[in-house]
Amino acid sequence: MIQPQTHLNVADNSGARELMCIRIIGASNRRYAHIGDVIVAVIKDAVPNMPLERSEVVRAVIVRTCKEHKRDNGMIIRYDDNAAVVIDQEGNPKGTRVFGAIARELRQFNFTKIVSLAPEVL
Amino acid sequence: MATSLSASFQIRFSASSLISPHDLCHLSPHANGWKSSLMTESYKLGRTIQRSLRGSSVVSPMALAANASQDTDDMYDDLFKKYGKVVYKSSDQKSPTAEVDDDAECLSFAVALAKIASDVKAADIKLLFVKPLVYWTKFFLITTAFSRPQIDAIRNRINDLAEKQYGKFATGDTKANSWTLLDFGDVVVHIFLPEQREIYNLEEFYANATPIELPFENEQRFGR
Repeated sequence: MIQPQTHLNVADNSGARELMCIRIIGASNRRYAHIGDVIVAVIKDAVPNMPLERSEVVRAVIVRTCKEHKRDNGMIIRYDDNAAVVIDQEGNPKGTRVFGAIARELRQFNFTKIVSLAPEVL
Repeated sequence: MATSLSASFQIRFSASSLISPHDLCHLSPHANGWKSSLMTESYKLGRTIQRSLRGSSVVSPMALAANASQDTDDMYDDLFKKYGKVVYKSSDQKSPTAEVDDDAECLSFAVALAKIASDVKAADIKLLFVKPLVYWTKFFLITTAFSRPQIDAIRNRINDLAEKQYGKFATGDTKANSWTLLDFGDVVVHIFLPEQREIYNLEEFYANATPIELPFENEQRFGR
């Protein structure tokens, strides 16, 4: 349940450390974003000397949420933090490696690139 | 307190003196009152009961408590042997031979796709067997194309072959991209532009995957 003003961790090595969501891409009046949704975010904290800098507006896809995600088989998965992976306009991840566990739902949302970079797919 | 408990013990044991301790556990294996009382009072009562039960064939409560968990296990085993049947079995599991057949089929599919890529003059085609590393797919086909029209050509030909010969449809990228991905379920095709291949370096990430020898002439890129 990510909404504008939500701070998210960054789960890749693109250079950003923390993002703040400013808009959810998709429908015009969506309240909340979940795993697999693309958001527009501003970088609040960045690693020095990297291509991405603070207060840059980027797109990101949400990969982990503290709000539990229900699957059709009854499984419920809940992470300890809200995290996103920075992507570019074409949908390619800006970083080269992804950190932490990734939910397999991203494959159905056509983010198999992120899944193939993931160390662990749940 | 102790006397009333011992009295209740006596009543129970006398009424059911022919029931084995095994069955007594059946009656209340998880009754906390019974067990905790056994634990706390068992030493005191054990003595009184042993005296009162001298001559009968019932085991003392201390021994009952000690055997309780093992007896429940035995009880469950016996019940399962008598009535047991599989209630739910995951339908994913296949026999080893079926799995090997599946793998062989995916391998032939992947090699066919690699052949197409080499026909279109894609460079540096690598086929990795990632099933031991990753559960969600079996093969990665990584290749380099030099221009977007070439990527389009590879993509269209791969999609045509997959549809006509194998009946598989790809999800993934519908337009050419600097990293184009085609997801056929068990086989995932990655088509990179040369710079992207260096940047993302998937072969390093999957260095533990076994590479598979391709049976045709593979155009290697020298230097860069």
